[in-house]
Amino acid sequence: MNAPTPALVARPERLRLVGQRRQVLALMHQRLMFGMLLFGGIIAIIALRLIWLAAFGDHAGRKGGLVDLTPERGDIVDRDGHALARTIDAWIVGLQPGKVIGNKLDLARKLAQLMPEKDEVAYLQMLRSGRSFYYLRRRASPSLVAAINALGEPGMALQREPDRLYPQLGLAAHVVGFTDVDGKGNAGIERAFDERLRDPQQRGRPIVLSINSRIQQALEHELGAAMTTYSAIGAAGVIMDIHSGELLAMTSLPQLNPNAAGQGSPEARFNRATLGVYELGSTFKPFTVAMAMDAGVIKSFGQMYNCPQALHVAGRTINDTHPFGRACSVAEIMKESSNIGTAQIADQLGPTRQKQFLRKMGFLDKVNVELKERGRTLTPGSQWNQIETMTVGYGHGIAVTPLHLATGYATLFNGGIYRPATLLKVDKNHAAGQGHRVFSEDTSYKMRALLRLVVTEGTGRKADAPGYRVGGKTGTAEKLVGGHYASNKVVTTFAGVFPMDEPRYVMVVMLDEPQPTAETFGFRTAGWNVAPVVSKTVSRIAPMLGVRPDKRREPNLAEVLPFVHKEH
Amino acid sequence: MSARGFGSVLWAGSVAGAALGFYLVSLNVASERAELEEVETRIALAQRDIRLLQTEIGTRGRLAQLERWNVKFIRLAAPTADQFVDGGFQLATLVAPPKKPAIDAPVVLASAQVEQAIPQQPGLTGDPADVRPIPRGASDMVHVASYSLPERPAAAKPLASRPVAGKPVPTNSGPANSSADKKAATATKSAKTAMADPLAPLPSAKAKAKGGAPAASAGATTQKRMRKDGDD
Repeated sequence: MNAPTPALVARPERLRLVGQRRQVLALMHQRLMFGMLLFGGIIAIIALRLIWLAAFGDHAGRKGGLVDLTPERGDIVDRDGHALARTIDAWIVGLQPGKVIGNKLDLARKLAQLMPEKDEVAYLQMLRSGRSFYYLRRRASPSLVAAINALGEPGMALQREPDRLYPQLGLAAHVVGFTDVDGKGNAGIERAFDERLRDPQQRGRPIVLSINSRIQQALEHELGAAMTTYSAIGAAGVIMDIHSGELLAMTSLPQLNPNAAGQGSPEARFNRATLGVYELGSTFKPFTVAMAMDAGVIKSFGQMYNCPQALHVAGRTINDTHPFGRACSVAEIMKESSNIGTAQIADQLGPTRQKQFLRKMGFLDKVNVELKERGRTLTPGSQWNQIETMTVGYGHGIAVTPLHLATGYATLFNGGIYRPATLLKVDKNHAAGQGHRVFSEDTSYKMRALLRLVVTEGTGRKADAPGYRVGGKTGTAEKLVGGHYASNKVVTTFAGVFPMDEPRYVMVVMLDEPQPTAETFGFRTAGWNVAPVVSKTVSRIAPMLGVRPDKRREPNLAEVLPFVHKEH
Repeated sequence: MSARGFGSVLWAGSVAGAALGFYLVSLNVASERAELEEVETRIALAQRDIRLLQTEIGTRGRLAQLERWNVKFIRLAAPTADQFVDGGFQLATLVAPPKKPAIDAPVVLASAQVEQAIPQQPGLTGDPADVRPIPRGASDMVHVASYSLPERPAAAKPLASRPVAGKPVPTNSGPANSSADKKAATATKSAKTAMADPLAPLPSAKAKAKGGAPAASAGATTQKRMRKDGDD
């Protein structure tokens, strides 16, 4: 009876059960909701991402980026835009011995057939060695690449690699220079502007040189022909615009092929035009006369000097090749290239003023040009006394580069203003160098007639190109060998300017140790071997430079002709 | 209720349509951009090829190579000062009008010869193939002209034959009669060769032989030829 009726009273366990279930349900609802939110969120994120990509993202067909046309290293072009140095994609052939799957002996045999620079044994040794990579050929030809590809050997590596190419080969090799295997500039412009050529911001634009390829070619050809004819060991030539200081051509022979610079001899790598210093002899005499005129020592070309057979000064004797043995005028001294006369003029000028002028012309420092191959000039230095002044007056005892001489002649004939030489084209991107006055305009004007006289009547007759009014001065200097001047080793130079009635271009050519031939009647002086180079080159290049030949035009020779004593 | 439910469907549809439209616009833009990029890539590749070809042409046509060809084969030299002219006028003075070739003399000669046989003129022009072998050159014609002077002594014979000039045979008989005078014969022979030739179309080989025949055997050849003429 005490027992409770089950129908009316729920058992407490049961009640507890119901409460528990409700709790569990709520929890499950919570979890489900959480999971659903999680999935919903993920789906929403993915959907949003998709919408984002569809609206702003890249499309599937997009290329991996535009073809980059900027070369690995900047181009070098001449003033007309013809390429002198370029970077191209060249094929290289490599060998990875570890990846070779075929018969190594067969492969070695085939390689020896395709690339005969090594024999099969060498190739087999390579294949059997443990090294991971061999360079077999750089700058391989497309036919070779095709043949090697046809071998079907995975161990042969064919890759493209930027390579420096000089399309004109040896043309202006010493100006352009060359690079080493890693593409680093080793000489010339390649070395001087290495940073600029490699700079990613600037390498897209080529370096424009002042060189004109056609003029360079004419100079190199004529100079090379003379060098062969007279068996000279070397030669150098410079052609320069006297007003802007731009070098239109500069060469040094023998020259190397910059495409294979490693094969060039040290002699071929040596730049005689800017690195080699030479005693350039009589080509200095016009400077001495101009200095004396500027300083007031020479009043007119008719001023007379005593020109004996030989001049004895301070225990040394100065000789002439054509001694006058009489009194001679300044015009005659220049015409016959008299050392004795010039020495006296230099003596009157004195060492102080001489040094001052030479410094202003930049002859006492390294030549001012962009290249890094620049020679240190040799001067008397602290021992610059009377005899040194006299010898420097006619170009001995001072050694400068041919480029110095060209700059000096440009200074003398452009109105007397020194301007540093430049290898970069002068235009709106690159201004001409800062100039300063060295000679007066009047001196510069009067010198025209004097140097024209040398070519029309004096030692430089063979340099005349009919109609182009070439003026200039020959120079033959003996080389100092072991402390003594060797009479059979000379450096012959001609420094010329054209057209002389309105000077525009200067040209300096030099032959190192020319030998006499039958045609020169045994002479090895400049008038015989190097002057004809000037004549030939000028008649080739002057029309290109816009200089019109005119046989009726001449500089005012009335300045000098009255003072030349006609001999029979 | 149905209207409300339908409204929401409409809403959903229009929203979906708008989203799709936006997406399509975006897709269109993207595809246009892709095409543009492809064109740009093609331009860049073409420029790279141009550069490559320029380098190759430059290398093959390098100045040193041209110079070598010039020295060996072309042999061009720099112009000399005299080759430059001051202007158009000076240039014009250098160009003289071309001289006309002197073709008058043969014409005069032909008329002098044909004078005797004017009726046969059509035969001469009608068969140029046979006329050709006779004149061996301008000098030949000049010779004939000069022979006209020695012809004067024998002028009687051509004169005599003139009345029968209409036929070739009498002209032949004339020289046959005068065979006694050798000099006269040679003179008339040349006259005959010139005028007899157009008369009959001979085989060209014969004509050539006659042309090349020396003066000594001239008489015989003419006679033979005359016979042939008669046959034709």
